[in-house]
Amino acid sequence: MPAIVVEGLERAFGEVLAVQGIDLTVDEGEIYGFLGPNGAGKTTTVRMLTTLLLPTGGRASVAGHDVVAEARQVRSTIGVALQEAALDPLMTGRELIRLQATLQGLPPARGRERADGLLDRVGLSDAADRRVGTYSGGMQRRLDLAAALVHEPRVLFLDEPTTGLDPVSRKTIWEEVRDLNDEGTTVFLTTQYLEEADQLADNVGIIDSGRIVAEGTPESLKDEIGNPHVELLISEGEVVEAERVCAEIGRLLPPKDGKRVLVEVENGAADIPRVVRALDEAGIAVESLELVRPTLDDVFVAKTGYHLEEEEAEAAGEEPVGA
Amino acid sequence: MEAATVRAAAPPAWRANLATIAALMARAKNELIRVPGAAIPGVLAPTIFFLGLNGVFGALTQLQGFETGSYESFIVPVSMLQGAGFTGAAAGVNLARDYEGGWVDRLLVSPAPRWVLLAGNVLAASLRSLVPATFVLSIAFVLGAQWPGLDGLVICYLMVAATAAAAACWGSMLALRFKSQSAAPLMQAGMMALILLTPAYAPLALLQPWLEKVAEINPLTNVLEAARQGFVGGVTWADTWPGLLALAGLLAVLGTLALREMRRTNV
Amino acid sequence: MSDLATTARVVRALGARSIRQTFRRPQLISPIVVFPTLLLVVQTGGASAGVELPGFPPVQSFLQFMLAGAMMQSMMLAGNSGGIALAVDIEMGFTDRLFAAPIPRFAIVLGRLAGTAALGLFAAIWFFAIGIVFGAEIEAGVPGVLLATALVTASALAVGGIGAAIALRSGSASVVQGLFPLVLVVLFLSSAFFPQELMIEPAKTIAEYNPLSFIVEGVREPIISGIDATQTLEAVAAILGIVVLGLVLSARALRHRLRVG
Repeated sequence: MPAIVVEGLERAFGEVLAVQGIDLTVDEGEIYGFLGPNGAGKTTTVRMLTTLLLPTGGRASVAGHDVVAEARQVRSTIGVALQEAALDPLMTGRELIRLQATLQGLPPARGRERADGLLDRVGLSDAADRRVGTYSGGMQRRLDLAAALVHEPRVLFLDEPTTGLDPVSRKTIWEEVRDLNDEGTTVFLTTQYLEEADQLADNVGIIDSGRIVAEGTPESLKDEIGNPHVELLISEGEVVEAERVCAEIGRLLPPKDGKRVLVEVENGAADIPRVVRALDEAGIAVESLELVRPTLDDVFVAKTGYHLEEEEAEAAGEEPVGA
Repeated sequence: MEAATVRAAAPPAWRANLATIAALMARAKNELIRVPGAAIPGVLAPTIFFLGLNGVFGALTQLQGFETGSYESFIVPVSMLQGAGFTGAAAGVNLARDYEGGWVDRLLVSPAPRWVLLAGNVLAASLRSLVPATFVLSIAFVLGAQWPGLDGLVICYLMVAATAAAAACWGSMLALRFKSQSAAPLMQAGMMALILLTPAYAPLALLQPWLEKVAEINPLTNVLEAARQGFVGGVTWADTWPGLLALAGLLAVLGTLALREMRRTNV
Repeated sequence: MSDLATTARVVRALGARSIRQTFRRPQLISPIVVFPTLLLVVQTGGASAGVELPGFPPVQSFLQFMLAGAMMQSMMLAGNSGGIALAVDIEMGFTDRLFAAPIPRFAIVLGRLAGTAALGLFAAIWFFAIGIVFGAEIEAGVPGVLLATALVTASALAVGGIGAAIALRSGSASVVQGLFPLVLVVLFLSSAFFPQELMIEPAKTIAEYNPLSFIVEGVREPIISGIDATQTLEAVAAILGIVVLGLVLSARALRHRLRVG
């Protein structure tokens, strides 16, 4: 039985249709990455699947229970760590996890045992009896994750779990998510970070303006886009001319900023000399050149027409080449 | 499988619900104990009102129609109920703040029944109301208020605690309806109006005709008279049951409205 | 343009901002209007039999007696509210923008006080309207209304100076907000709600010397009796005393604020 089934799910806020009839299926034991920019409808979708918001159209089921008709059963089987960490600064970490255990209906002794085990697991044993208000952002996220796990949920919803965290804290959360998944937990993860979706997700759904615009494994999505592209850093004032020259060699891609030219090349590295020669003949100075294999950002661009992350260069397959 | 063990060991629903209510009440007390000075405003406001009203209107007992010559005795139940009203309204404000901060989502996403989540907040307010009530009462006794007898005292405290619960239902309803702390003035003013549109300052017969009519239909009048009876005379069942009935009615109505809002948070 | 003209221009602009801010936000206006109106209603309805007490000044109705007290309460809350608004400006960094501008520093405080005075004026008009609608007679007629309104507006300015001083000194809205109980205490320890002679000790003695009592009586006399020069002068003297205190405290607090940033 799939862990999550969504059919034609919709949510309107007055005139605004925040989620416009989405369909998706998440198999048990999968990590599903829900990728999209701010305002795409990710959080609205999560809130509907976790029964915090009623859909205005369509249907969805989680762990075999309808999110509207069987909301209480859904809540018994899911763990949720929302975008806002939703912690009480006056409580200690241990008190919070124990409260969560009580909310989930665990007997007191079992709740205490789970609290101690989870605090240890997320590396918060030493801070367990300090007030949450004294925790760093990373510690708060780890605590939130631990609280979501106290009742060993079948499906775990993580809404942008690493937004605002430093790279080390982000990696810690990723490791934890992988471990949980290895233990059999289905994870539905929303993110605006391409690398996060690429690294963690078995399947990725890309959402933009309330619609799913692409879905598949990260590799299949990238293969669908096809060709790598060359990314050129051009001297100021020559970008337009460089674009004209490159357009004769391959398909131009939407620019990330006003300094780079992106041109798709069918033959990968073999096309680099052609590009360099053409620019050289046109008298255009190239400050740097890289061959970039398709990334989820390229998938995003292909499906939506704009970049998800304007300034970050996706790491997969870059080959820096000096100008 | 361990997950099955976790689920198989779940206690019966009534015990789990009680445990949840107790846990939420324990959390609510943190506000008083762990924030320095947090208890002061809740105690200060009714105390100032008690001392102020006593100092300003104390001479009214010279009028015919007052059952007592001690204005402290007459007015102390009003201040205790005012404290209950403020405490209940504060519970609503805290809920609104919790909503704005995302904490309420944590509660709503759990399998705990909505009435259980509400009960935790309301019962915590009810218990907390005994603090300002006791403080005001102590001051009143120092100033010479009449000892109401044990029965009168118990009934007064019961009225205070139940009024605080009703006020917390009112505050919670507004908090969940407006989802914002900006509804705080409405929470406070609503309870204040209800408590003062009664024979708060003078007996019913000495009120202006329009206020006398309003007080007669205001359920808080019965609550006040039940709370006051020991301080101005003897305790009788005839003066007690209308107050109990009024509170039962208020709790039923306001509790239902609050629960309705709790259930509609996902609309 | 002369310095005085510049100052006037700045005060006018900041005053207009202050007034706009206040009247655009119901949550700022409503405590100043709703709470005192509620108290006026319940106290008039509940304690009106007090006019029968020996020694109560001759009045047409208890409402007529209470109007001045309601205006005072509203005025005090307006002063507190003005202080809160200034403290919020400090917390948000808006005052830094003003301090960095080539304007007289004290104009910043005066501008804020203009908003508070406007609230005082609004309070006087509001309660006069309520009084007249519900049958209270203003014995001194139009001159009495004008005099009482001027006294309320001036005292709002005076009390606003104290509020501004506290805001500048503390830089914290919650500190200023926490003074609300003090406002109630000062009101109860005055003749705002009942004749001073009929109050209970020690409130009675404190009320006799409370400057607010002099102001209340100055506002009340035209309403219940007629314009009395002595009462009016006493009210003006009390207001001036608070104005001076407010100015001194504000100036020192402003220097402190400029020093600490």
